[in-house]
Amino acid sequence: MTSDVQLATRPADVSARDRVDAAKNLVVSFVLNGKPLSVAVAPTELLADTLREGLGLTGTKVACGTGDCGTCTAILDGEAVRSCLMLTAMVAGKTVETIEGLAGESDIHPIQQAFIDTGAVQCGYCTPGMILAAKALLDENPKPSADDIKEAISGNLCRCTGYTKIIEAIDKVANAVA
Amino acid sequence: MARAAPKPQANMGPPVPRYDGRAKVTGDARYPSDVPVASPAFAFLVTSAIAKGRIVRMDLAAAQAVPGVLDILTAEDTRELKHVKFAAGGAGASTSIQGLGPDIDHDGQIVAVVLADSFEAAREAAHKVDITYAAEEPAATFDATNAREESPEEVGERAKKLPKAGDAAAALASAEVTIDAQYATPAQHHNAIELFTTTALWSGDELTIYEPSQFVFGLKNNLAERLGIDAEQIRVVSPYVGGAFGSKAQMTPRTALIALAARRLGRPVKLVSTRDQAFTISTYRAETRHRIRMGARRDGRITAFIHEGWELTSRPDPYSVAGVEDSARMYGFGAVETRVTLVHADRNTPGFMRSPPVVPYIYALESAMDELALELGMDPVELRRANNSMRDATGKEWSSRSLMECYDEAAAAFGWKERTARPGSMRDGDWLIGWGCATAAYPTHLGPSAVRVRLTPAGEVRVQVAAHDIGTGLYTVLAQLAADELGVPLDMVRVELGDTALPPGIVAGGSVSTAATGSALVKACAAIRERLTAAPAQTTGGPSGNKLEDVFERLGIGAIEEYAEFIPEGGKPDAIASLYKGKPALGGGSHGEKLMYALGAEFVEVRVHALTREIRVPRIVGAFAAGRIMNTRTARSQLMGGMIWGISSALHEATEIDRRHARYINDNLADYLMPVNADIRDVEVILVPEEDSEVNPIGAKGLGELGNVGTAAAITNAVHHATGVRIRELPVRLEKLLG
Repeated sequence: MTSDVQLATRPADVSARDRVDAAKNLVVSFVLNGKPLSVAVAPTELLADTLREGLGLTGTKVACGTGDCGTCTAILDGEAVRSCLMLTAMVAGKTVETIEGLAGESDIHPIQQAFIDTGAVQCGYCTPGMILAAKALLDENPKPSADDIKEAISGNLCRCTGYTKIIEAIDKVANAVA
Repeated sequence: MARAAPKPQANMGPPVPRYDGRAKVTGDARYPSDVPVASPAFAFLVTSAIAKGRIVRMDLAAAQAVPGVLDILTAEDTRELKHVKFAAGGAGASTSIQGLGPDIDHDGQIVAVVLADSFEAAREAAHKVDITYAAEEPAATFDATNAREESPEEVGERAKKLPKAGDAAAALASAEVTIDAQYATPAQHHNAIELFTTTALWSGDELTIYEPSQFVFGLKNNLAERLGIDAEQIRVVSPYVGGAFGSKAQMTPRTALIALAARRLGRPVKLVSTRDQAFTISTYRAETRHRIRMGARRDGRITAFIHEGWELTSRPDPYSVAGVEDSARMYGFGAVETRVTLVHADRNTPGFMRSPPVVPYIYALESAMDELALELGMDPVELRRANNSMRDATGKEWSSRSLMECYDEAAAAFGWKERTARPGSMRDGDWLIGWGCATAAYPTHLGPSAVRVRLTPAGEVRVQVAAHDIGTGLYTVLAQLAADELGVPLDMVRVELGDTALPPGIVAGGSVSTAATGSALVKACAAIRERLTAAPAQTTGGPSGNKLEDVFERLGIGAIEEYAEFIPEGGKPDAIASLYKGKPALGGGSHGEKLMYALGAEFVEVRVHALTREIRVPRIVGAFAAGRIMNTRTARSQLMGGMIWGISSALHEATEIDRRHARYINDNLADYLMPVNADIRDVEVILVPEEDSEVNPIGAKGLGELGNVGTAAAITNAVHHATGVRIRELPVRLEKLLG
């Protein structure tokens, strides 16, 4: 256990109503979207739930809970991960990026703009995860081939099936960056 | 971006970017389960482990002992809920099976609801609910010994209305060339990426429901009936829907349970059901079987068409799609006979899934067309041309029909003339190449809608209607239409959807939203323009200019707000009143005086490996005509997504059923096969200009459910061309091509 995880003091007397809060007895510190923060969580709490329910960052979605769909994708120390399969305690001391952290102060991220331009957004539910998977790819490999792109987002399901447009969007960003 | 944003041709609107694009790429779009509520309790559903029988005993002690558990609802706690009659189409409940037991009617039926302070606690407790069942042997699907066939005569009225013309049996007997073939399509589940969620929040007697919905007024009214309260006490909010495809069109049993739980606890309750539960707590596309017999002259004219369908449904509910209604009208058949038989089994009740009637029935028709072309030694495109007709066998005329234009454009783009007819004659090394084609068709439905539009002197426009954008692009096309009609820049238009506090819109089903809502919107905008032109040319001392601000000043008002109602021609005068009560009246398609359909032609190349029989679809070209195209970008998105659904139907998707237990086996996103990016290669969409002033005031035919029709047949036809093997049962899997 790193120093970024601390056992919170357990209240001496807990009523039934308070038990759950009392169970949030781990304080986990990490960097979220560029800002350091500490959250009190239960040891069993999933990163996706901490983001959505605890921090109100509902751009991260959960659509299977078993790691099959990629909707809950977050970027952990530069790597796309499934936040529905990770305990929040596991991100202690690390850097987490979610969709809410992508847009700059003046404008949205080029990948976000490209998704709008190519019509890669339909119902929008897979979109945040898809964009984060794309960002992790482009951060690592700024000039991916079409096959690299397909490989990178093959873990993200889109049921409106905007696939070719999603690939066009990512390709557009890759080819626009000098 | 020429591909993403095709250049508009005649009768097509510009490809403006998606209105809700920014909200969706930034994560700002709040779907119903994203809406924060104060201190919610979390619900977890307990579902039946048997498909037929009854609950003998339910022991809750271990579940109640889990820390954080607040309450567990069982059958006894839900007796106050009223039974809502099953009805297809959004006007009633999605199923008659609404009780939590003790009788069990299908696997995965909801039998209890656990409520706890946290999701984890609710889930843990749900797994500790100890249930003893008395199980009986269920009927899982077709051919089960205890399944019940409902003969068309029993069904009565519906059977009498199915298409029939001439003496098809006699025409078949005397035909020069005949075919007789049977086809089958599997059960499929929508699997929208967003799960089924419900959040219920009481404030005194007022109930707010946040739930992804394709018909908020339907949900509001049906829920009121189920809870036994006045519909005016309920507000349903669903501004964004994370995919639906039919699964969120009707009230399913969960909603009333969550509302009831929230009232008992005096606290908001939030349910996010699991992916496996999604297979049994809502609807699905049922498996079907078909027999088609066709007779033709040597020159290709089809003289006899007999289409029989069998559809699976639940034990109590007569859900049926009866797509013979569409297949029998596609070409100028000489004589027609149709018949649909329902088979009742111990399953959850099926329901609408993207293009419900035409996906299975047009697949069967378009496969049979290919078989007939082969029998005649005719090019499959030429067989369609020989039978292309502006009138069906019953004498009904088409309002517009651009089928052969679609075929010709798609064939040219595809390079169809390079095809050699003999199966197995095209090859690239170890890959057998097959080219196939098929017709896509979707009935153009008509429905009523209300709308409210507000215009301010600054040129700000607000459009309000309880219609639904389930990823289709309705926000965008309404904004475009309002900007056009009122002559304001697009970015001045705000659109509000998916909330029963707004004027009622139609169910987002039957690809009817753009036509219905758009037609109402055009009316409201015309009324606003009329009020503007009624302004005096000049008032003493006032401005005389034509600027909006000047006109408003002369009118002496601060804004214009117009409420308008659209009722399709021939619709009942109380259509809007019915809509307020959650009853949508859908007409059109083959049911009016004229046949109204959006049509298309899809061409596919498949590559089948000569040794391993691995199947690939390197390219697919579709050309579509659907009246006025509002926005070429969102239209392309819808059609392309549809074509990929078609590839999925042909090669991937099937809900596998355990025949012993009447249970879905692959009830998760790993085992329920859908294409990923790597499966999809080149997809080309061609929009064919078409005008049709008869369908509705804006002349648009719905196309959200067009692209996925016929694709599966185009692929099986191509697989036959590659290999000489005719697959008559979907999906095509490589084991079916071995040996």
